[in-house]
Amino acid sequence: MLFAPALVLLVVTTSAPLVYLLWTSLMRIDLTMPFLSGFAGAANYVKMGSDPRFWNSLLLTLIYTTTTVVLQVVLGLSLALLVMQIPRGQTVLRVAAILPIVLAPVVVGLFWRTLLLSPDFGLVDLVSHALGFGSHAWLGDPQLALVSVIAIHTWQWTPFAFLVLLASLASLPPDVFEAARIDRANAWQRFRRITLPLLRPAIVIVVIMRTMIALSAFAAIFAATGGGPGTATEILNLYAYRTSFTEFNLGYGAALAVVLLAITLVISFLMFRMRRGR
Amino acid sequence: MSRGGSVSLRNIVKRHGSLTVLKGVDLDIRPGEFFALLGPSGSGKTTTLRILAGLESHDAGSVVLDGRDVTGSEPGERDVAMVFQSYALYPHMSVYENIAFPLRMVKTPNAEIDRAVRESASRVKIAHLLERRPGQLSGGQQQRCALARAIVRKPRLFLLDEPLSNLDAKLRLETRVELRKLQRALDVTAVYVTHDQEEAMTIADRLAVFMDGNIVQVGTPEEVFRRPVSIEVATFLGSPPMNLIPARLAGREAAIEGHRLQLESDYGAEREVLLGVQPSRIDIGAEGIPAQVDLVEHLGDSVIVDLALGATRVRAKLPERTRLAEGANVHLRFDASDVHLFDPQTRQRITA
Repeated sequence: MLFAPALVLLVVTTSAPLVYLLWTSLMRIDLTMPFLSGFAGAANYVKMGSDPRFWNSLLLTLIYTTTTVVLQVVLGLSLALLVMQIPRGQTVLRVAAILPIVLAPVVVGLFWRTLLLSPDFGLVDLVSHALGFGSHAWLGDPQLALVSVIAIHTWQWTPFAFLVLLASLASLPPDVFEAARIDRANAWQRFRRITLPLLRPAIVIVVIMRTMIALSAFAAIFAATGGGPGTATEILNLYAYRTSFTEFNLGYGAALAVVLLAITLVISFLMFRMRRGR
Repeated sequence: MSRGGSVSLRNIVKRHGSLTVLKGVDLDIRPGEFFALLGPSGSGKTTTLRILAGLESHDAGSVVLDGRDVTGSEPGERDVAMVFQSYALYPHMSVYENIAFPLRMVKTPNAEIDRAVRESASRVKIAHLLERRPGQLSGGQQQRCALARAIVRKPRLFLLDEPLSNLDAKLRLETRVELRKLQRALDVTAVYVTHDQEEAMTIADRLAVFMDGNIVQVGTPEEVFRRPVSIEVATFLGSPPMNLIPARLAGREAAIEGHRLQLESDYGAEREVLLGVQPSRIDIGAEGIPAQVDLVEHLGDSVIVDLALGATRVRAKLPERTRLAEGANVHLRFDASDVHLFDPQTRQRITA
C-alpha cells in the first residue's frame, strides 16, 4: 500500500494521458467543425492510407532518423578514435563535447536559424560565400532545409555518441591490441577485427537510444523551420502537432501520434531483440 | 623447421621523462637458446622484452635480430611471437579463431590455417576446446591458448612475459616443464621474463640478471648461482637468499665473531668484508661458530633455522630430521669452498 501514491502518480501522469490519446484517436474532433464531433472508430487510421501528407511525413521521419543516427555513430566513433590518439587534453574535449547536449533543443534550433543559417549574416552562409559556393536559403529551400535540420540534430547529439564510444574505447584492454600488432595485424585490420567487435555493445546501445530519440524529435525542427518550407521538414511528430494545434483536427492528430508511438515501440523492440540475440 | 634466430641488443637506453629505465643494456642471445631475463620488479626486464618485440620505443641503441637491424620496425615485421602475462586473448573470438589470427593476418589459405591451428592446439593439449570462447576457459587453458597462438606461425623468436605468474603453484611447475619441452621440440629461440629466480634457474639455458636498469650478470643459472658478482645478485638468488656475515679478512683467514676460518686463497692486506654463504651450505654441529637458534620453520622436506650470530641474522637450510629447540646454543660450520666474499663499500665480489 506504501507504493500507492507512486502508482497513482504514474497512472495520472503517464497512463491516463496515453489512454486519453488512444480514445481521442478514435473520435472525430475537428474544432473548425465542432458540429461533426463524435465517435469515428478506425476512420482516422483508414484516412491515413490515402493521405499523401502522412506518407510524406513518414518517409521524412525515416530519412531523418536513419541519416542522423548513422551520422552520429560514424562521426562520434571517428572523433573518439582521433581523441584516443591525443596524449593530453582529453578532459577539455570531453567537457566541450557536453556543451551541445546540455542545450535545450529549442535553443539549438533558434541558435542555428538565427546565428548560423540565416542568409547574409549566418556563419554557415558566410563560410559558404567565402568558399565560393554562394549564399543560400538554408532553411527556405526544401532540400537544403531537410539537410539543415539533419545537420542541427547531428551537431547536437554526436557528442553523446562520441562520449559513450570514447569511454568504451578507453576501457578496452591495451594488451589485446599489442597482441594484434605482434600477430601482424595492420591498423585497418586491428580496427576491423578487434576494435569494432569489442565496441559492438556500446555501438548497439548508442544506435538504440539515438533511434528512439530521433523518431520523437520535435523541438529543434519546430524552432528552426516549423516543419516547412511547406512540408519539407514535416516529420511525423510535426505533422501530428500541426494537425492538432494549427488545424485543430484533434482526432486525426491523436491518431498520427499513436502511429508514431507504435512505430517507435516496434523498432525499439526489434533492436533490443537483435541485441539479445547475439 | 628452421632453427630460431639470434638476438643482439646494443646499448639500449630508455627514458620515461627524467627517469632512466634502461641505462645501456647489451645482450647477446644465441639461436635456439632459452634465455631468461631475471630481476626484481622495476628493474627493466619487461621493458627490455617490449623493446625487443617492438611494442615500445627506446631512446638510444639498436635491436638486431638474425643480423638484421630491426630498430624502429613494427612488431609485425619482426617475426616474433609473444605470450603476455595477461595472455591478451581476443575475447570475442573462439579459441580456433584466436590461434588462427596471426595466419589470417597474412592471408594464409584456409586449408593451411586449419591444419596449423589443429597441430598447435594439440601440441598444447587444447584440441578439444577449439569452439570455446576465452571467457569459458580456465586460467591454465587460456595460457595454453596464448601459447598455441604464439607457436602457430613458427616465429624465429618467442617472447614470454611472466607467462606462468597467473597460474596456481602446482600448474606452474607442470607448465614450466612443458614450456621447456615445447621450446626444445620447436627448436626456437625463447626470451623469458620472470621475477622468480627459481623459475629462471630451472627453465633457462642462460640468464641475465637485471638490477635498476642494468644487466649486472649474464651466465648459465649455475654460473650465476655459484659466483654472484655482487651483493644484490647474491641476495636476489636462492630461497632463502644468501647469508651475509660481517667478517675481517686478512691473508688466508677470515674472522667471524672471533672465530677463525681458513680460506682457499690469499686475499692480502687486512680489511672488513661481507662473507656470503648459502643457507643450504651451512651445517650445524658440535664445533664451529657459536650461534643461538631463534626460530625453526618446517617446510616438509627441509627445515629453515633462523640463527642469531652476534648481531647478524643467519638462516640455515637443514635436513627435515633436524631437531632443534628454539633458544638452543649451537655451532655453525661451512666449507671454505662455499664462501663468497663481497666488498661492503663497492658491494662487488672480491676475487683473490
